[in-house]
Amino acid sequence: MHARLPDRPGRKKAQVSASAELELMQAHRRELDEVARKSGALVTGVADANAFTAAMEGQRPTDLLPDCKTVFVLGGAQPRAGDWKSPSYRHMETTSTSDRVTAMGNRVAQHIERKCGYYAVTIPPGVDRARRPFLNIALAAELAGCGSPSLAGPVLHPEHGFMYYTAVLTTLPLPVDGPLAEPVCPAPECVSMWNEAGTTPCMATCPIDEGGCLGGRIEDGRLKERRYDVARCTTRVHTTFIPGFQKALEAVFDEPEKEKRKMILYSTQFTRTLWSMSYSNVSQGQCFECMRVCPVGSKQRSLR
Amino acid sequence: MTILAGTQAPSGATFDSGVAASEADTAAARVAELRTMALAAGVDVVGFAPAERWDEFVPAGSRPYDILPGARTVVVVGVRGPSAGAWQSPDHRLIEMNGYDFANDRVIHLVADHIEQAYGYQAIQAPGLPIGGHQPAFSMMLAAVLSGLGTRSFAANIVLNPKYGLLYYSACLTTLELPADAMLEQDVCPAPMCVQVYKAGGKTPCQAACPSDDGGCLHGTIGPDNRIESTYYDRERCVSRAMNFGINSFQKGLEQIANEDDPEARRMMIHSDFFTRSASAIAFYKESVAQCFECMRVCPIGRAERKLK
Amino acid sequence: MGFYFVDTELYHRHKEAVLAMSQAIQINYPEHLPPEKRQPGFSDRQIAEKLGLEERVVREIRCVAEREFYPVDEWERALEFKDRACKGFAENGVAFSTKKYIDRAKAAKASIKG
Repeated sequence: MHARLPDRPGRKKAQVSASAELELMQAHRRELDEVARKSGALVTGVADANAFTAAMEGQRPTDLLPDCKTVFVLGGAQPRAGDWKSPSYRHMETTSTSDRVTAMGNRVAQHIERKCGYYAVTIPPGVDRARRPFLNIALAAELAGCGSPSLAGPVLHPEHGFMYYTAVLTTLPLPVDGPLAEPVCPAPECVSMWNEAGTTPCMATCPIDEGGCLGGRIEDGRLKERRYDVARCTTRVHTTFIPGFQKALEAVFDEPEKEKRKMILYSTQFTRTLWSMSYSNVSQGQCFECMRVCPVGSKQRSLR
Repeated sequence: MTILAGTQAPSGATFDSGVAASEADTAAARVAELRTMALAAGVDVVGFAPAERWDEFVPAGSRPYDILPGARTVVVVGVRGPSAGAWQSPDHRLIEMNGYDFANDRVIHLVADHIEQAYGYQAIQAPGLPIGGHQPAFSMMLAAVLSGLGTRSFAANIVLNPKYGLLYYSACLTTLELPADAMLEQDVCPAPMCVQVYKAGGKTPCQAACPSDDGGCLHGTIGPDNRIESTYYDRERCVSRAMNFGINSFQKGLEQIANEDDPEARRMMIHSDFFTRSASAIAFYKESVAQCFECMRVCPIGRAERKLK
Repeated sequence: MGFYFVDTELYHRHKEAVLAMSQAIQINYPEHLPPEKRQPGFSDRQIAEKLGLEERVVREIRCVAEREFYPVDEWERALEFKDRACKGFAENGVAFSTKKYIDRAKAAKASIKG
């Protein structure tokens, strides 16, 4: 009763020609695209499971799903045009999470298993041991042609810019999209700004040499160097999330005076960390300033 | 078991023959409608049980009509959890964070809404969360047994459905009287294969995977009739595995932190992977519901449903 | 006054009895077993009646005792157990768990015959 026995007894493998196989893969792809679209996804892409050579050991598709053939990536659930316009930075905290896009991935995974009969696993958006992701979803999005990495960090789609991604590992063979031929970042506007002022909108908003998180260099219209302060970014993206909670807890225990301890425990900061933690499905990402100024996808935000 | 047609008529009906036909027909039609609706909405099984079945197994105060006065029927739905692909993964963390979409909770709300809005009877979602320590207000697993959806197993007293094995259940309590499903007569556990393994080695696969006499949670015996003869389940050890990171580990960690006098050591504990993951599990509860599946991984029941390409 | 928590002396005095009557260790739970054999455990109210305590007190004792049942070391051991069992199954299937017991039983039979 080994779980990896390939077939039940008596099942014959059909002889299928290469073109028929391709047709079947394309039909499956269309089916999954339709499921994704109905679930609310904006973009889809397929990566080759063996293309994750840049990933750490233990974080490749075949490490997580034996015999994984392809990785189906869905993107969407990004902040709305109006969200970006709000002058309250706190508003963005509650509008953008991975919850919605992961739910879309789960629907695709269920369809693959229950209708197509192949194994499927949705990559959880949370983290495994030592804060490592199960699989680098941004890398999956890149390898599936859904976008390319930006200097600011997120994978940008050429038309829609910043969005959330989820990845479904599967043993279902699908036609592979592969990475984009041309990188999305830097955008032409950013190259112009770099040539003129030696910086880009995201670097200017959050400069690493002035207490921010981002730095880099553009040469011949391409990113040549990138500097990113993860620890500082954490203080901004997860200001009132688990890292903020741990810092506050440390302060509570270090404080010998009871009244001051009370001030910390009842403070806005600590209260907000508890709200953020308990309502994590609506409050995960808490800083979008680099993306707010990014020109990629900005046309989509120009509404009345 | 879900059977779309031919439900059992209510027992002990005392209607006049002319009224009986139409009331029984209406009740049967409602059962069929609720079943179809629930299955179409994404659950795998649906069962119906009369509220009186709880009297034998549950003390006063925890029966359906203690929660909803006048409750006559309990509707139970069950849904698969992790995807078949997640069961294949050698990373045990993946299965605990994958595929649990709370469809059973979502669908039981549809059922309750429909009963109230379409049929005009009271209906509530049976309370599922613990109300004191580990104790829930209402046992979904018992509801699954009493509505004919499964039977208890050696593995942590988990209720196994004959087709799907492990399922997650939700229940709706209602004042609407509906024809009931029979409880299963044939025990799902032990499976024939498990009886063979037990006879060969003295343990079933789940007991071998998590033996109480070797730091695990399970033990039991199979009688000469090949049925469960006795069971032993260390729930508290199971909690350390099935709720490895969550409220329990958070409290344990916090206790250790609060008792540490050295601020440096305290800081190490607060920012440790263990405490971080405990806090994360509370925050991301929707992603990390059950965190140990080792007894179910080796269980043959429902495995055929997880055998894909 | 603060929020309610159980008196420590009361806790230590009744902890073992409450745990023994609760569902911390579940013996003969399946519903098909004859009633005289089943030991499904008692509700807080039933335990309170048996011990002559208030239900709220029993609930608090049970909650703390459940949490205290195993030390936090058990949570670390749980990680090692799952890692081993999951990887073992991925490599060798059910045999990873059952083989040693079957081999042991065969060896025992062989030594009896010998």
